[in-house]
Amino acid sequence: MSLTSNIVLPILQLIVIVGLAPLVKGFINKIEARFQCRRGPSIFQPYYNLIKLLRKDAVVSETASWIFRATPYVAFVSILIIALLVPVLSSCVPLNFTGDVILIIYLFALGRFFLALSSLDTASAFGGMGGSREMMISSMAEPAMMLSVFTVSLAAGSTNLGNITSAFLDSSTLLLNPSLFLAFAALCIVIIAETGRIPIDNPHTHLELTMIHEGMVLEFSGRYLALIEWASSMKLLILLTILVNTFLPWGAASGLTFSGLIISFALYVVKIGFFAFLIVILESSFAKLRLFRIPNLLGTAFILSVLAIISLYVVG
Amino acid sequence: MVEHLFIISIILYLVGALFALCLFKWQMVGNYISFVFAAIASCFGIATAVTVLFSGSTIRLDFQLFLPTIIKYNFLLDSLSSYFILAISVISFVASIYSIGYTRLYVNKRDVRFLGFTYNLFLMAMLLVVSANNAFVFMIVWELMTLVSFFLVIFEHENPTTRKAGLVYIVMAHIGSGLLAIAFFILLAYGGSFSFDSFRDAAAQIPAVYKNIVFFLIIFGFGIKAGIFPLHLWLPMAHPAAPSNISMIMSGVMIKTAIYGFIRFYFEFLTPCPPWWGVIILIIGATSAILGILYALMERDIKTLLAYSSVENIGIILIGIGLSMIFKSYNQMALSSLAMIAGLYHLFNHAVFKCLLFGCAGNIYYSTHTKNIEELGGLIKRMQVTAPLFLIGALSISAIPPLNGFISEWFIFQSLLNGFNIPSVIIKIITIICGAVVALTGALVATCFVKAFGISFLAMPRSKHAEKAKEVPVVMLVSMGILAALCVFMGLFPAKIMMTINHVNTQILGTNIVKALTSYDWLQMKIVRTNFTELSPKSATVFGLILLGITFGALTLIRPKFIRKFYETWTCGIAPESRLEYTATAFTKPFKVVFSNLYRPRLEVSTTYSVPNFFVKSIAYVGEITPIFERYLYNPVSNFVLKISDKARLIHAGNIHLYLAYIFITLLILIMFFR
Repeated sequence: MSLTSNIVLPILQLIVIVGLAPLVKGFINKIEARFQCRRGPSIFQPYYNLIKLLRKDAVVSETASWIFRATPYVAFVSILIIALLVPVLSSCVPLNFTGDVILIIYLFALGRFFLALSSLDTASAFGGMGGSREMMISSMAEPAMMLSVFTVSLAAGSTNLGNITSAFLDSSTLLLNPSLFLAFAALCIVIIAETGRIPIDNPHTHLELTMIHEGMVLEFSGRYLALIEWASSMKLLILLTILVNTFLPWGAASGLTFSGLIISFALYVVKIGFFAFLIVILESSFAKLRLFRIPNLLGTAFILSVLAIISLYVVG
Repeated sequence: MVEHLFIISIILYLVGALFALCLFKWQMVGNYISFVFAAIASCFGIATAVTVLFSGSTIRLDFQLFLPTIIKYNFLLDSLSSYFILAISVISFVASIYSIGYTRLYVNKRDVRFLGFTYNLFLMAMLLVVSANNAFVFMIVWELMTLVSFFLVIFEHENPTTRKAGLVYIVMAHIGSGLLAIAFFILLAYGGSFSFDSFRDAAAQIPAVYKNIVFFLIIFGFGIKAGIFPLHLWLPMAHPAAPSNISMIMSGVMIKTAIYGFIRFYFEFLTPCPPWWGVIILIIGATSAILGILYALMERDIKTLLAYSSVENIGIILIGIGLSMIFKSYNQMALSSLAMIAGLYHLFNHAVFKCLLFGCAGNIYYSTHTKNIEELGGLIKRMQVTAPLFLIGALSISAIPPLNGFISEWFIFQSLLNGFNIPSVIIKIITIICGAVVALTGALVATCFVKAFGISFLAMPRSKHAEKAKEVPVVMLVSMGILAALCVFMGLFPAKIMMTINHVNTQILGTNIVKALTSYDWLQMKIVRTNFTELSPKSATVFGLILLGITFGALTLIRPKFIRKFYETWTCGIAPESRLEYTATAFTKPFKVVFSNLYRPRLEVSTTYSVPNFFVKSIAYVGEITPIFERYLYNPVSNFVLKISDKARLIHAGNIHLYLAYIFITLLILIMFFR
């Protein structure tokens, strides 16, 4: 691998993830509005929001400590590191020696840890409630996530996302393994839970008692809020990217050629758009689950992932 | 030369103990001197361990002081024991410095001479436990360690719960010692002598049945000390009852001596092990991990919480050890070494961060005189150094990168994933289910420590104690700082620790995989590598810092004069006060509902009215979880024992003639049988 591609590819990964994340959110909002027979805000509205917030000062609670002020940076930067480790346009991830999917899962945990702490920091009961629920949901999602990741890793022979993508690109027959379908289903449920979409959490709600993620970030404003919003939309995009480039890797470039990257970018946008559209359909056709029904849904995901791994071992 | 270092260390501990006892008039001075001696002695301990580990030599020490001359080679320093000596000595060093500050809590309140005395003996006994090379000697020092730590547990003995904790501890510890003694006698029957060397030679001759019996005896015997479920009962009682500097050592390293016992027996005395032994250890580990953290989650006493979390971490360590045993019995030595690295890495990590957390809990107790986190809050502004130290500990234990807990968790996952190499499908599936358990445990640990840190350090103080909190003496902060630095160092430079563990692997497994586990990437940074992937926590941190710099720079460019305005939190129109904050109980309430089958929560709400049914005067709320292991496992056993002893009391009539008759009858029976 040449030095240019080692430098260009990571920067490209960052630009795509950071740049496209608000667009995905805008796209989902727009289509959702169309489903509800509304015209909806512009697809670029999330960008306008971010720019507006970044230009503003922030109001900080008197009771909050430095944890509160550090949290947005921790949440944002931990997602940026993840963006370096995920194959986006090319299956070649030059920085993949830094870590694998286990590091990625625990980097998500880093951001969540600080968000939950800052939710307690302002001494408001809403924050604590959101933080507590977020930790509950993510804990319940963790085993299913780990097992489905394990299934994929064992099928591909690596826990490194770049290597997984290239393994599946090299022999697509690997992807016909039935256990991967089960793992895919489990991972879909987990991603819904991790990104706080309906039926787990409603990202549009501002009714105090139903907020989970929004409750946790209630006290942030200005620059801090912008970083957190951006980070959460990047989290959605990254998880979709992992899903897309693991289970539907076709078209991803394997090196650094201009034409290859263009094709793979076009396909990438189409694939992400497709999954975003699925999320819209899901969100429009379901109501939010009761909080204590969520473990059942995540339990289903867990069972699916256990079946996935057992079938991988038994079927081979 | 090395043996001198070791002996000097032992002598220094003894001298320190005597100093504490001898200076009658100046208790505090005597105490300081004894802690300083302990700190110096542990430096010698570190030197011993490092020399032995890196020279790869085995040193035998032969004292012939009081014991009969048939017992040779009483002590042995090899790589395995040196690794444990290293862990013990590092923690002892830090704890000794910490104690210099912490014991001020007891000045003029109680006799601190005794504390210094038992403290030194305790450290010495632990060193001797991991270096004993003779079952007889081992039992003596093992008992010494138990007894001395019992006295340390009941140091604040005017408190009835402390006395009960001490009683439970000593009873359970002795049941464990009894089982160990039986195991040693079985090995003696085949080895011919009490020396561990003869045990090693006899391994092949022991019939399978006796091997299995010894295996279970060892699980229970050492398991009680390690605190595995359901033998953990003493642990969450005794660790919080002891003074914090003692809990640091007990939780940090004392329970690890049992892990040492497991490794000594299963990898040296009882080889070759059948695969199901490893599976049992693996399952015990996974059970302890998940149940330990589930109980920690519900705790409000910060030290009990940490004690339950020790049960969880012992579970994680045992998962590594169990996997290593499974791989070894299938003769996959490289994987066995990988799992052993995972287990032993986590062992050292846990020693470091648990010691740090107990120390910070001690700081909290020192300045607020409470351990109940519901009464704390807002300490981050009052204890500005303790807070980040506790945060580092909390992040480490939650396996958050780039701190040390993540590295061992990563190794555990890598070894579990390598379970696909095991020929048996059942064991394969068990390993992968354990992977799910470890994942769930990891997420619960994070929740637990968000609660522990968030409720006690953030927001507003919930009581007068917390309001008046002040930072603790510098000496305590410095010692905790050493541990926090170790957490960061061991997270960023895993290759150094792996090299050390590799020496242990070379001895007990005969492998050297450190070359296969490390390599250099295209930026010429050292990385850790397994057959699945690579990991470089150092470069992840560097990239993180660069990206943080870029983010900060970009934000400053967009708005150079960024202003933060401070206002009070909006609480729907009421002035914010601490009663409006979320509590620890509320924070973990969702988990109580989800796992209600395990917790069986009990709820009692009683309302008193000033005008019946209309005006509420007060509402009393009692919520607790059922300790199911205590109720359904321990209580029946202890009731049974009590009933039997009640019956046995009938023959103790208190009449001397009757007792003489008993002796006479016993003699007669003996004479009849052994003519």
